[in-house]
Amino acid sequence: MPRITANGLTFHVQRSGAGPDVVLIHGLTGDLSIWFLCRAMQVLAEGSRVTAYDLRGHGYSDAPPSEYTSLDHARDLIALLDALEIDRARLVGHSFGAVIAVHAAVLAPERVEALVLSDPYFPALRHLEDLSRWGHWQNFRQEAEEAGVSLSSDTWYDLTTFFDQVLHFDDDRLLRFRQAVGLPGWRRVLRLAETTCGHDSKLIAGLSTELISSVSQRCLALYGEASPFLSTADFLIGNLPDCRGRRIPGAKHRAPEENPEGFVEAVREFLESIHSEKTREVYP
Amino acid sequence: MTTAATSDAALLAELRGLLRDALGVDPVQPIAPETRFFADLGLASIDAVVLGEAIQGHYGRPVPFDRLMADLGSRQERDLSIGELIEFLKLHL
Repeated sequence: MPRITANGLTFHVQRSGAGPDVVLIHGLTGDLSIWFLCRAMQVLAEGSRVTAYDLRGHGYSDAPPSEYTSLDHARDLIALLDALEIDRARLVGHSFGAVIAVHAAVLAPERVEALVLSDPYFPALRHLEDLSRWGHWQNFRQEAEEAGVSLSSDTWYDLTTFFDQVLHFDDDRLLRFRQAVGLPGWRRVLRLAETTCGHDSKLIAGLSTELISSVSQRCLALYGEASPFLSTADFLIGNLPDCRGRRIPGAKHRAPEENPEGFVEAVREFLESIHSEKTREVYP
Repeated sequence: MTTAATSDAALLAELRGLLRDALGVDPVQPIAPETRFFADLGLASIDAVVLGEAIQGHYGRPVPFDRLMADLGSRQERDLSIGELIEFLKLHL
């Protein structure tokens, strides 16, 4: 298994293809396998050198006890780019992975060529969203209830509350829950629950509204058509200098799982639009 | 010549070894063809990625694990039995 040491930690990394560098960044409680399951790893590798990695605390990467803000993760990402000798990359982040991508673009703008922001919600933009207004909230809460987790519109995003509940499941309830949420590796969720990830991921950690708005690279704000975070999508499209929007049909917050073909196609088209514009710059 | 039954048994024994060495999985109840990767062994898709690499390293040849993962991604129950994995390996090794 390819392991890369960066920022004092060991990261599990998978790579495929050749061409301009694309780095895939999964969301909280996930891991890089999502990019295999939705075929992003295979499809994007046809025109790019694709690198996927497990975030700290996730998958087969190290899990330090603390330091899980978007700033900590962004520093990991930049250190990984150094270790892999990637000068400049297109970043594709899903959910909190997209927050990490934006934070990395703020810290090291010269290392980031473009960004795909798949359904992020930013701690600094929390005031924009009111989950109780989300049309799917009642269904979402009902599904969670059937899986054994009680959610409220104030705390549903709070991993600490979530970890407190799932830590006390018996075997049957646990299997029902794991099946309902797409079967994450249980030992890994427990390992993450022992860290400060739940708390830290709610912190702004320096990624202010102004800094988010300052990201000038080409961005694609890619949201599920029934995402709970469409106010954040509108904010990104309206405030970032070069951000276009696109909605994924049939998806809520987890487009790579809910509509994998639609998700990967949207990412591929966006990356190709950068390729063709660059070609025009070189050969006008 | 190796019979199909022998090669099934041999593959099962090798998979047990790879699960133990690559993923640290060595259950009290021995792994059988009907054992489910996720529901029974408590593993996840990330473990399948790592097992795929271990299998390719062990046999010294590429195996289209990408396709197996994509197929898995499209299944309602998102699970895979060890027997299915053995059938997949028989096709591709």
